Amino acid sequence: MPIDYLPILVMVVVVVAFAAIALTLSSLTGPRHPTAAKLEPYESGMPPFGSARRRISIKYYLTAVLFILFDIEIIFFYPWAVLFRQLKLFGLVEMGVFVLILLIGYVYVWRKGGFNWD
Amino acid sequence: MPILVPDINLRIIAPALIVTVTAIVVLLGELVTPAERKRWLGYLSIAGLVVAAFAAFSLWGANASGFSGMVVADNFGLFLTLTIALSAALSILLSIPFIHAHEIDQGEYYVLLLASVAGMIVMATATDLIVIFLGLELLSLPLYILAAFQREDTRSLEAGIKYFLLGAFSSAFFLYGIALVFGATGTTNLAKIAASLAQSAGSPMLSIGVGLLMVGFAFKVALVPFHWWTPDVYDGAPTTVTAFMSVAVKAAAFGAFFRTFQFALPALALDWRAVAAVLAVLTMTLGNVAALLQSNVKRMLAYSSIAHAGYILIALVAMSANGLSSALFYLLAYTVTNLGAFGAVIALSDGARERLEIKDFAGAAREHPLVALALTICLLSLAGFPPFAGFVGKFLIFGAAVETGWAWLAVIGVLNSLVSVYFYLRPVVQMYMSEPAEGWSGIRVAPLVALALLIAVISVIALGVFPAPAIALAAGGLIR
Amino acid sequence: MLTSQFLTYVAFFVLSAIALIGAFLAVTLRNLVRAALGLILSFMGVAGIYFVLEAEFVAIVQVIIYIGAISVLILFAIMLTRGLMTSAASTQNSQWIGAAFVGMLMFAVLFFVAITTNWPLAQPHTISDLIPRLGADLVTTYLLPFEAVSLLLLAALIGAIVIARE
Repeated sequence: MPIDYLPILVMVVVVVAFAAIALTLSSLTGPRHPTAAKLEPYESGMPPFGSARRRISIKYYLTAVLFILFDIEIIFFYPWAVLFRQLKLFGLVEMGVFVLILLIGYVYVWRKGGFNWD
Repeated sequence: MPILVPDINLRIIAPALIVTVTAIVVLLGELVTPAERKRWLGYLSIAGLVVAAFAAFSLWGANASGFSGMVVADNFGLFLTLTIALSAALSILLSIPFIHAHEIDQGEYYVLLLASVAGMIVMATATDLIVIFLGLELLSLPLYILAAFQREDTRSLEAGIKYFLLGAFSSAFFLYGIALVFGATGTTNLAKIAASLAQSAGSPMLSIGVGLLMVGFAFKVALVPFHWWTPDVYDGAPTTVTAFMSVAVKAAAFGAFFRTFQFALPALALDWRAVAAVLAVLTMTLGNVAALLQSNVKRMLAYSSIAHAGYILIALVAMSANGLSSALFYLLAYTVTNLGAFGAVIALSDGARERLEIKDFAGAAREHPLVALALTICLLSLAGFPPFAGFVGKFLIFGAAVETGWAWLAVIGVLNSLVSVYFYLRPVVQMYMSEPAEGWSGIRVAPLVALALLIAVISVIALGVFPAPAIALAAGGLIR
Repeated sequence: MLTSQFLTYVAFFVLSAIALIGAFLAVTLRNLVRAALGLILSFMGVAGIYFVLEAEFVAIVQVIIYIGAISVLILFAIMLTRGLMTSAASTQNSQWIGAAFVGMLMFAVLFFVAITTNWPLAQPHTISDLIPRLGADLVTTYLLPFEAVSLLLLAALIGAIVIARE
């Protein structure tokens, strides 16, 4: 029943309210003395350099695509794993075939250097 | 909760299984094959397709279904399987020298082509909308990549992107249609849909769902007004890929189209037959008229393939056993004819430099009389001249339409065939009547291309002169 | 019971509003990165609607695949394309009137279906018996589609390497 999610809804409301109140209060009550250094974007203490709108390498794209594919594979694992014991041997063999086909893809990507960064 | 034991029947999916295993072996072979031996991966792929064809033949008459009613090995599906395997094997014969000349000879080409073939076979033998959808995706996805396989050529990339975007769009329509049909009937199984509709009246949800299914199929087989992607994709994709998808996709998608509509949705036939008749008229007419205006052979053949989809749709409108077998025969005839035409175009190209404008064909008959003759035979067959395969195909389809009371549709089909004669003969006139253009000297036809061309032309003539055996095979296609 | 139903309605309308606002931002914002963020907002709204419809597994898939993975891919694709990153090209082209017409037509048709259909109610269930049933169906009735999916993923994998290889 959707009503079972009421606690989650309550939590969402509390979290949003907390964030909003904390930010509003600190911006209303905190002292404000802006200087050039303070207005710089915070980059883990490093001085920022270059444009944020640089073009990134196509390697990220390959990584993201591989991530999606294996992500989808894992989704299929979940309902199978819940029932793993009742599915006996045939369930294992079927999932084995499913994984084997993707494993071949994995070997292919590996040998083609899809995981190499340089 | 009791758990059923799965209904595994590997025998009836043997053709698709063999193609899949071949694809995986070729993929692993690609990793260990040195660059100069890549052509062996092509030979291996053809061997796999031949074995798959034998497997399909050994299943002839089995009429078995399996995997909980998801797929069936009936003669209708097996005939299409054979057609698809033949088109793939001929395409690979054309491809081996072609991709070498264009410096794209990578094993992935064959792997993707075989994966697409596996999807086509699944689609042609599926009896459940979910499996039809997965077959559709499995045949389409590799073709998007293959269309863009000439990565150095921006037109090839454009073809890939256009095909992908419109293909994804049409998949969405198809999936929405499946959802609505499921909502209306409570099942995705074709037999159960038919049973459910035999008992209860239709609903708006069902009609809209069926309409969306039709839109999805119409996109894939390129029916007007869902054909806009076809000329650009066929033009930009590597010529061998164009040759393959112009025939094999039609065989697979029309197979599922016929099975879904004629078998699962006879209850709504009054509605969808009228819509299909309108689409057939639009598709034939627009395809042929637009083909008249083309100066590029690939674009002309693209519009011609749209027109041929219109002719095949007439067989669906007929909705009879003869309609079904005529469509099967037509798909086979169109496959060998169109592959022959593309094969001749590839044979006349000069290495990586292709001759794609019709005026470039001037004088080809003097330089390459046999190739010119082959192209002439294929174009005459496409136009529907006897004694070639295309004539018998059109004769059967128009006959099926007249038998079922759709004579006016057959008349429009005949008129369209007359229009098409003009543009099919234009390259022929160029080849035989014009003075040779520059640059013919030193062109050698690759032996594999010659072999593919020979097989295609012999089939075109054989199917035209002795059509009876093929018609008999097509007629056995009991649909279930 | 009445409050439960009322709250469900409220949740549905709020989530629908989130999905629609996100979709609207995605198609109207000129900066593509912001448009992609709008799309993610829309995905979230849709995931919430799945929860309200008691399709928990689909909802979780929506969160993991669409919000978790596809959004990242879309953002990467924008960031690795030089022109798209900074472009502020108009989101409308000459075909927008036709597209709007087809979109409205599609909406009208589906709206008609929605109001004319006598929707059957699903049996009450809990997530703890839904997922095992899904798992059982996946390896029995839907075995063939299940294995076909892995082949589809393999083809996609090869395609990604072929297209993105340097």
